[in-house]
Amino acid sequence: MVRAALSSKRRIGQGPKPLAVFIPTISVVAASLLAALPFVTDTGWYPDFGFLALISWRLLRSDPWPGWWAAPMGLANDLFTGMPVGLSVTLWSATMLALDLVDRRTIWRDYWIEWALAAVLIAIEEWLQWRVAAFSGARVPIATMLPPLIVSICVFPLSAWLVSRIDQWRLGR
Amino acid sequence: MATARPGWSRRAQYSLFFSFLALIAGVFVGLILLAMSLLAPAKFQSVRGAALDITGPVSSSLHQVTATAGGLFSGAGNYWDAANQNASLKRERDAMRRQILQARAIVLENRELKATLHLREGEHGAIAVGRVVGSSFSSPRRFAILSVGTSSGVRIGMPVRSADGLVGRVIDAGALASRVLLVSDHNNIIPARLLRGGLPVIAQGRGDGTIDVRPLEVGRNPFKRGDIIITSGTGGLYPPLVPIARVVKLDDDGAVALPLADPSRISFAIVEQPYEPAAAAGEEP
Repeated sequence: MVRAALSSKRRIGQGPKPLAVFIPTISVVAASLLAALPFVTDTGWYPDFGFLALISWRLLRSDPWPGWWAAPMGLANDLFTGMPVGLSVTLWSATMLALDLVDRRTIWRDYWIEWALAAVLIAIEEWLQWRVAAFSGARVPIATMLPPLIVSICVFPLSAWLVSRIDQWRLGR
Repeated sequence: MATARPGWSRRAQYSLFFSFLALIAGVFVGLILLAMSLLAPAKFQSVRGAALDITGPVSSSLHQVTATAGGLFSGAGNYWDAANQNASLKRERDAMRRQILQARAIVLENRELKATLHLREGEHGAIAVGRVVGSSFSSPRRFAILSVGTSSGVRIGMPVRSADGLVGRVIDAGALASRVLLVSDHNNIIPARLLRGGLPVIAQGRGDGTIDVRPLEVGRNPFKRGDIIITSGTGGLYPPLVPIARVVKLDDDGAVALPLADPSRISFAIVEQPYEPAAAAGEEP
């Protein structure tokens, strides 16, 4: 990726960390595990950390993991966050697929385009969660989903920054 | 697999193609799993329980840390304005004492009346007492994680309450932790009554931490701000006379109420037997 190549200050004796291939996946699963944090919220305005980490990695690099890994990572996210099993499996695989197709079309990218892309993906994710909840008996008004949507979109740059730091660390740059 | 055409290498072209196929397969597997979990929720009970056992103890132990930190702040806040607080607390205590005396008399009278009617009351002891250690973060569904599981006798479908009021009912149970459907979830519909007058109402969560209450009979809006909603015991799952919520806002034909047992503030929750055990058998999460 262009962005990673620009900031190369390679020094002697520094190289990729051992298990560098697995670090993106580990970080996504760790983000899913944030759901185990002991914060009790009555409103549910927290972002879906696992999904944020996933799209942050995928927007930063085209090959953070083999594409099909998205499915098992989604399964882990479903189990840890208590969503209906299969929701994240579908959504995460579809997201990887969609971003592969987007990569074929886009000629140039910058931060704003990535943020807009992430906003669209997050909106689709929240909408899907809302649809599935409605299907399983909790038909809340769509306005209920607006605050978490806005929070997630605002948190995305932070997550993207963190992921880029982890990426530099794992590659020893 | 970023670029559309990875060059002339057959191998690279094939691996790109197969990774696309794998992703499409992932989408389909996910859809099948999703359909199964929506149509037959009982299918994944054991898997979800096992996942709860992984995250539950982590939440429990971390909960001690946040509770201590939170306690420090609120403890420091209480010193502020202590004299005024002291005076108002004393006034409150005197008022409470008078009310308690009245309530004792009512309890005595009630017992005598029930004895004359030969009403029998079943025993509904607590199954287990646990802490609320976490909740669903990002979801239109409102769940909380409770630090007791099947090893303490908790089963799916059991009602959960705290000293303040009704919390919800158990929908997933692992060995060490369980997941509770809160009263503020849209899927939790509770047969209830108005404490003032005993009018039957229906309480249903709104998904954002509040509860929607509607009277069973269409007509004049019976609610007032500050009204307390209690369970009626109809349906047999929740025990009767447990406070649920306090009305904070009226709308055209009902009202919006706040749960009395705020899951972010209650420290302990009590898992109870279903009021009439036969009712819990038909319950679906």
